[in-house]
Amino acid sequence: MIAKLPRGLTYDGIPIWRHARIIQWVLQIVSGVLVVTLVVWFLANIGNAIADRDIPYGFTFLGREYQTPIGEHFIPYESSDTFRYALMVAYTNTIFVSIIGVILATALGIFIGVARLSGNWIVSKLALAYVEFFRNVPLLVQLLFWLFIILALPPVREGYVIAGLLYINNSGISFPGPASGSLWTPAAWGALAAVSVLAGIAAHKLLARREVDTGKSSYPLLTACVLTVVLAAVSWLVVGAVAGEAPFVISPPEPQGRFGHIGGGFTIRAGLLVLLIGLVIYTAAYISEIVRAGIQSVSRGQVEAGRALGLSPMGSLRHVIFPQALRVIIPPTISQCLNLTKNSSLGVAVGYSDLTSVGLTMTQTAPAVSIFLIIMAAYLALSLTYSLIGNIYNRRISFVRR
Amino acid sequence: MSSQSNASPSTALPPPRSETGAVGWARANLFSAWHNSVLTILAGGAALLALWFGLKWAFFDADWTVVATVGGRFVIGNFNSGQACPSNNCFWRPQISLILVTGLLGMAWGYTGASVPRLIAILTAAAATLFAFLPYGLDRMGWDVRLLLLANPPALAAGWGLARFTPLGSLKWISILSAVFFLATLALLRGVPGIPGLYPVPVIYWGGLTLNLLLAGVGITLSLPLGIALALGRRGNLPVAKLLCIAFIEVFRGMPLITLLFMSQVLVPLAFPENFPQNSLFRAGVIITLFSGAYMAENIRGGLQALHAGQAEAARALGLPGWQTTSFILLPQAIRNVIPAIVGQFIGLFKDTSLVYIIGMLDIVEIGRTIIVGRPEYQGSAKEVFIFLAVVFWIFTYGMSYVSRNVEEQLGVGVR
Repeated sequence: MIAKLPRGLTYDGIPIWRHARIIQWVLQIVSGVLVVTLVVWFLANIGNAIADRDIPYGFTFLGREYQTPIGEHFIPYESSDTFRYALMVAYTNTIFVSIIGVILATALGIFIGVARLSGNWIVSKLALAYVEFFRNVPLLVQLLFWLFIILALPPVREGYVIAGLLYINNSGISFPGPASGSLWTPAAWGALAAVSVLAGIAAHKLLARREVDTGKSSYPLLTACVLTVVLAAVSWLVVGAVAGEAPFVISPPEPQGRFGHIGGGFTIRAGLLVLLIGLVIYTAAYISEIVRAGIQSVSRGQVEAGRALGLSPMGSLRHVIFPQALRVIIPPTISQCLNLTKNSSLGVAVGYSDLTSVGLTMTQTAPAVSIFLIIMAAYLALSLTYSLIGNIYNRRISFVRR
Repeated sequence: MSSQSNASPSTALPPPRSETGAVGWARANLFSAWHNSVLTILAGGAALLALWFGLKWAFFDADWTVVATVGGRFVIGNFNSGQACPSNNCFWRPQISLILVTGLLGMAWGYTGASVPRLIAILTAAAATLFAFLPYGLDRMGWDVRLLLLANPPALAAGWGLARFTPLGSLKWISILSAVFFLATLALLRGVPGIPGLYPVPVIYWGGLTLNLLLAGVGITLSLPLGIALALGRRGNLPVAKLLCIAFIEVFRGMPLITLLFMSQVLVPLAFPENFPQNSLFRAGVIITLFSGAYMAENIRGGLQALHAGQAEAARALGLPGWQTTSFILLPQAIRNVIPAIVGQFIGLFKDTSLVYIIGMLDIVEIGRTIIVGRPEYQGSAKEVFIFLAVVFWIFTYGMSYVSRNVEEQLGVGVR
């Protein structure tokens, strides 16, 4: 198509310096070169600083002992563990808060969102007040508010005890929970229990499909529940028999010692408690608005059709509106969950040892550049995982285009 | 009225008493079914209880002396403290910039004649006047500061008059004046060595609400153009630019702001030569702008994606070159479509300015925290301080969403 060009001109007679294509490429190359130069200059400056000012660098520190306690840890940790392991502990803390927070915030968000659309004037206005208040106040202010509320509670010895089971005091909340000698028996049972739940779900799907095909009911939900419980019980016995002890026992919390350390049971310590309360309340306000928009995006005719088929209001919400609303709800909700994960870095303000907070402490004894790179990679991995899950789910529920 | 319709020649009866007025409204909205009535009683009871205890606390139990005595520090941080300003005579400098802002608001009102700028301008001037008559001094607030506060209503009037009756009342001049006033504010706050009244104050002493507003103002002004540029780059067909934009957006969106701020404090000084002029406030402003710009880019990309392809094709068919298609056809429509998301991002940015505490800047929240932690007499006042802070932030953020709803209405979004 391109004919032989006269020198300095393109085929349609436009001089090279005014040809859109060429201008674009020149601009691109110039901007690329600029960015690369800038980055190289930054790196060179960092290199100079490292050389001149004797700043540590590299990743050899990962094998050293961290020698700093970490307040909260869900996998065993001792001060003599390495930096690498300490970073992993902090990362599990971030992931733990993220998962629990996402579950609770989604539940609360759906509740508030549905309440916003309630036909009851008081309920919908209360939900509106909730959203308008918690969405418009910085998370940090909310977290500090909750933190000082918890810190103002009485100390462990004089704390509130409800029915001898629930302990509320300024170091957190304690309630009956699993206590176990070793870490592996509960983990093994947990894995088997998860398999049982999956088996139950599979059985439910199979039986439900058979019911649709044959018209004969074999109680899919009941059967699936019984199957799950039986499988979980059997795996409990098996794990117990192999390990020689029950996977875990539920023990009540008990104050021990003069200064009131609470042993036994399960304790949510103040930092984690504050972070969870703050994150869940804050994120739920955003999720509720997403849920509301999603439900409102379902056309009125769908609701009426559901009611005309004889479904109850709850039934039509559950079987007709919600499945359609999910298409609108899921993508922004995923990004809110990601925001929750990133906001959990505010644990540094309330004394929870999340990745950022531990990383910040580490910069005092380890090269900051390397720690920055590790933290960056860790958060990017988390956000990619979230978008991946979101995209897979989104593809499954989106409309089938014909 | 009904006599005009030929379907029912006889006069229609009024609706039954139980279906109209307050009774009808309550029946329809509160007691339509038995479960609804239960819900009404439960929720109403809870709301009344919360209101009762909340008001009782706010008016009788709460001790607001902490807000009253350190009010000035919430506004300007340590700007007027002994280390920052040896003569303790620097409070007038932020006051002058407040007057400039009020004047600009007056100009915006005079230029647009709209109700929203009027409301904001009048509220600002009224609040300033109110502060002038406070029975106690805000952080060594002398008579000079009170006089300056009283100068706000005249500044408002002057701005309004200038915009109304002189050629200064144009978008161009208001933008230029905004930029000039911003630089004047920086010069006033930073001080100029050698001039008697303008004792230089290092940026580490800037703080309080002034700092939050300054950072938010800079971030909002710069992150929108940055976001537009990034969004266009990401959607464009230039591979190198596209790659750079995607990398920038994903890295900044993938990290918590607090981590970025902290690392800017540690890394950025290393990345520049040792004697390169820079300070923590500048770094915070840059990081907040870049962070917000990355989110803004995704909002605007969403708006661009929602546009019908026919718009761009029609513009090209009319013979508009590419950059004109983008700036006159696509962007106005795209931005109009995502105003709520953009304003939501502005609100997020304003709230995020509270995170600068991580690099040691004393914004309004950190001032509150240090007062509770550092002064024994206020240790029990945490609730009061944080509720006060929440209300301050709420006023600004709710104001922003109020303005956004008005702008949307004026632009007729969603109306054909």
